[in-house]
Amino acid sequence: MGKFLLAFLVFFPFAAALVGYLIGRHSKAGRDYSAQAACLLEFLAAVGLSGCWGSTLQWDGFCGLGLSFACDGFRTVMAVLAGYAWLSTTVASREYFGHLRNRNRYYLFTLMTLGSTMGVFLAADLYTVFIFFEIMSFTSWVMVAQEETPEAQKASGTYLGVAVLGGLVTLMGLFMLYSSVGTLRLDELTGLISQAENKPFLYATGVLIFFGFAVKAGVYPLHIWLPTAHPAAPAPASALLSGIITKAGIFGILAVSCNIFLHDARWGNFLLVLAVLTMVTGALLAVFSINLKRTLACSSMSQLGFILTGIAMQCLLGPENALAAGGTILHLMNHTLIKIVLFLSAGVIFLNLESFDLNRIRGFGRKKPLLMTVFLMGVLAIAGVPLWSGYVSKTLLHESIVEYIAMAGLTAGQAAYYKAVEWLFLISGGLTVAYMTKLFVAVFVEKNPTEQARYDEKRRYVARPTAAVLTVTAAALPVLGILPGLTMDRIAGLCRGFMHAEAPAHAVHYFSLVNLKGAVVSLLIGAAVYLLLVRPLLTQKQPDGTRLYVNRWPRWLDLEYGLYRPILLRFLPFIGALLSRTACSLADWAAGAFGALLFWKAPKKVEPPVDNAFGVYPERPHYHTIRGSLAYSLLLFGIGLSIMLLYLLFVR
Amino acid sequence: MTENAALLLPVLFPVLAGLPVFRLHKPKTRQRYVFAALVLGALAAFWACSLPDCRFTIWQLTDTLSLTLRTDGFGRFFVCLVSVIWVLVGVYAFEYIRHEGNDERFFAFYVMTFGVLIGVGFSGSLITLYLFYEFMTLITVPLVIHSGTKEAISAGFKYLGYSVFGAGLGLLGFFFLSQYVTTMEFVPGGVLDPVKTAGQEPLLLVVFLIMMIGFGCKAGMMPLQAWLPTAHPVAPAPASGVLSGIITKAGVLAIVRVTYYIYGADFLRGSWAQYTMLALTLCTVFAGSMLAYKEKLLKKRLAWSSVSQVSYVLFGLMLLTPAGFLGALLQMVFHAVAKNILFLCAGAVIYKTHKTYAGELTGMGKRMPVVMWCFTLASLSLIGIPPTAGFVSKWYLAQGALTPELGAWGITGAAVLLVSALLTAGYLLPVVASSFFPGEDYDYSRVKKCDPGLGMTVPLVILAAAAVLLGMFPGPLTTFIQSLCGSLL
Repeated sequence: MGKFLLAFLVFFPFAAALVGYLIGRHSKAGRDYSAQAACLLEFLAAVGLSGCWGSTLQWDGFCGLGLSFACDGFRTVMAVLAGYAWLSTTVASREYFGHLRNRNRYYLFTLMTLGSTMGVFLAADLYTVFIFFEIMSFTSWVMVAQEETPEAQKASGTYLGVAVLGGLVTLMGLFMLYSSVGTLRLDELTGLISQAENKPFLYATGVLIFFGFAVKAGVYPLHIWLPTAHPAAPAPASALLSGIITKAGIFGILAVSCNIFLHDARWGNFLLVLAVLTMVTGALLAVFSINLKRTLACSSMSQLGFILTGIAMQCLLGPENALAAGGTILHLMNHTLIKIVLFLSAGVIFLNLESFDLNRIRGFGRKKPLLMTVFLMGVLAIAGVPLWSGYVSKTLLHESIVEYIAMAGLTAGQAAYYKAVEWLFLISGGLTVAYMTKLFVAVFVEKNPTEQARYDEKRRYVARPTAAVLTVTAAALPVLGILPGLTMDRIAGLCRGFMHAEAPAHAVHYFSLVNLKGAVVSLLIGAAVYLLLVRPLLTQKQPDGTRLYVNRWPRWLDLEYGLYRPILLRFLPFIGALLSRTACSLADWAAGAFGALLFWKAPKKVEPPVDNAFGVYPERPHYHTIRGSLAYSLLLFGIGLSIMLLYLLFVR
Repeated sequence: MTENAALLLPVLFPVLAGLPVFRLHKPKTRQRYVFAALVLGALAAFWACSLPDCRFTIWQLTDTLSLTLRTDGFGRFFVCLVSVIWVLVGVYAFEYIRHEGNDERFFAFYVMTFGVLIGVGFSGSLITLYLFYEFMTLITVPLVIHSGTKEAISAGFKYLGYSVFGAGLGLLGFFFLSQYVTTMEFVPGGVLDPVKTAGQEPLLLVVFLIMMIGFGCKAGMMPLQAWLPTAHPVAPAPASGVLSGIITKAGVLAIVRVTYYIYGADFLRGSWAQYTMLALTLCTVFAGSMLAYKEKLLKKRLAWSSVSQVSYVLFGLMLLTPAGFLGALLQMVFHAVAKNILFLCAGAVIYKTHKTYAGELTGMGKRMPVVMWCFTLASLSLIGIPPTAGFVSKWYLAQGALTPELGAWGITGAAVLLVSALLTAGYLLPVVASSFFPGEDYDYSRVKKCDPGLGMTVPLVILAAAAVLLGMFPGPLTTFIQSLCGSLL
């Protein structure tokens, strides 16, 4: 049964994609329903995995080394999350895509992305992870490019370029790992770093493998695709990109960090630096953004930084890392659910207004209780307000940092460093509060100066299936948050095996005063940032008394257009092409020089002598006139040589 | 080994069968005849491959020199590859060549070249190989200059000049070598006489390098690659396809023969000649991709891409490791498949829409979906995206490179392969992207589906399926190549 479910989860979506495509050529509705049915089946199969832990599936010889899949608690959780994300977005897609062009293409590639994502999540070795990761990069590229607007074309170009680059760098790492260790199976790689003889080589290998996954996970400074690709993609696709596909990157990072670099402090510190950078940069970008979807995208980047912090703390804490492990997986799960809610809500707004610009959409949410409640659940959960799910995972992550400072026996300098990390963590949490407040106030509190009457009249702004999906997903957030011991702790327990984490010594009291303190600090910072920075500095008072959101992010601070593109697309190709052109022309130059020598004395053009007695001469020049040139001498030399050769062969 | 005159059949049959084509003016008759000749030729080739190892001496020149045909593992490998591709591209050409004119001449030479290539594959000694090799050069010139434009003719001369010069360098090496070998025939593991070569190793390595550069000319290896980006684009698409996909592989074949069957891997391993060759091939891999990236004309871009991709094969061969050899031979097949698809697709686009620049293919995916889908799959294979074929060959090439003995060479090599793969993505994927994502303001009302006829699309689809399936299930092919490896390394 386990084998069948594993194979079904990975390969069924590919088959369903093709079948759906063929159906779609005849019936649009049939295609939509078949896609929904496929996602439902997939979700049920993922749930069914929970009965088959420990089963494995091996397909030898596929792509050379063969595929292998395994099933355990963590993989089941990931598969269920992915299945749910696809189910909910596919249900919402039917309304969202309405009468757009090329829908058939969208469904084809979305389902293929589902299959490849499942392949990543269920893989038992890095080879399988890589194969499906690459397929996923390409199929999800189509989802980003789907709308074909100029922004989408640009963003999808960046997405694909960065994905291909990341994939190749990871491949280099896999080459090196496989050639030095001889296996890519995750269970055989466990604890490799502690036995490795050549540690620098292994670290280099690890960083290379990490690179490609980090690209997908939006880790700074490889995040450049994320703030542009999410807004450009259709809303259901953004939810998938942000909710699941970035998690495939996290899965890869986890696979490397919890196996090759299990409990390795140096690796943990490396991750921690990147994690903090990602967390803070993402949050800052989100605070500055004035586009609903871009804010959500940057928020994703920031939250991925939180998750990465958890992975880093797992490595730092060593065997007693239950808090960090739990925080990592729970935040991952929460973020997926929250982003499904928020992006689908954004999609609802876009369907009505064709815009994500805060200045245009503001006030739209007034007098729309359903949309407001749903969105509010997402806001409260992601902001880490107690009683919502985000609070639990953030608390765990925060506590893991605190625990490390307390127990590791650090020097004063190191303690100050990790204390700074803790504060940056809290500040990022505060920024999360600030930008979510900014969104919520803009959409649901403020009035639109010009369009408010029209917005208020819209009563039928969302289709039933979309509303149902939103309600169910949003309802999960407080439920998880109110009953953490019953729900979230158990989920964390399932995942511990994959991360080689021990069970916590005692249950965490989430609502104790110590733990509430962190959340309160973050909320206070958030309130301060919103009131002291966002309101006065990021909005502009108009003559009529209303405030306009303005983008104050400096243009030159764009890594992609300021640094990467000029270097990668202008400077390096110029140098490379110059060198290559020169090298490739050497033989031509030599041949040219030889030709010049050959025809040195040959006359350029020959006028045949006019001799009327012998009629017509051909119009072409006579070649015998090159007598006296080097060519003539060479010719005679050649004839002599061949005569000699014949003589040697036949006469002697 | 038994003498078997049957080996002459697959070589002579296409050459003779090609002659009457000059006089077949009726398109229907000609197509049937050519198709029958190609299929029968291929069947004869397969049949010859299925025979147990045998040989046939065509002409005993002197007591040590003889023109010999022989079947062995590598020869079979090459002949089978040629036969499959040749028939498929031939079918494609029926419709395509019609718009170029002069069909009789094209198909006559096309059929005859088939026989010569099988001769190259079955060559049992260096002199036989040289003979067929030169013959192949001469008989493919008409394919290059088919269009008869001034540009094509000058490209044809360039092709001829470089090829003859390259083969000449090979012949030079042959003269030298004849002093030091036990026999002039190909024997796995090499034929150098240890007694005679003692103390002469430096000279022999110089000779090796000269031969490599000479035969490398056909395979588009630096420094003699210049003819390739000139000659391939001017030929009609099917001819460009086989020139890039197959004829360059004849150069590879000669290099395999000299390296593994005359010198032997053990003689070369760790020598400066090996490292020089690795450096040359890596430079070619990079430069070819780089210039393809900079090239705007689609067919010329593909030609530069061949320069790069065939040098992957040579790089793998020069690693002198089993995994490298495996990767090289896989790459030989996979590149042949992918590059033929790409050239045939470019041809289909030219045939239907007269667009020649890579930037002009905007929206082509809507107009010619089948063709552009094949183009996309071939592109993915050429870049090496799993699960397409190119990924598998790159995997083994890198494994071959990253052996401890090669040290930094291995890591540099693998890194260059990946940089080149990135550039490959850079010059192929924008074409794919713009053809399928023309932009929201693209005028769909004017789109007319114009995929070419079945004669052109069926070979494309078969090849594209091969590009994917061979990558997913490389098992039989790798097993066969590994069995070859056993006697060579």
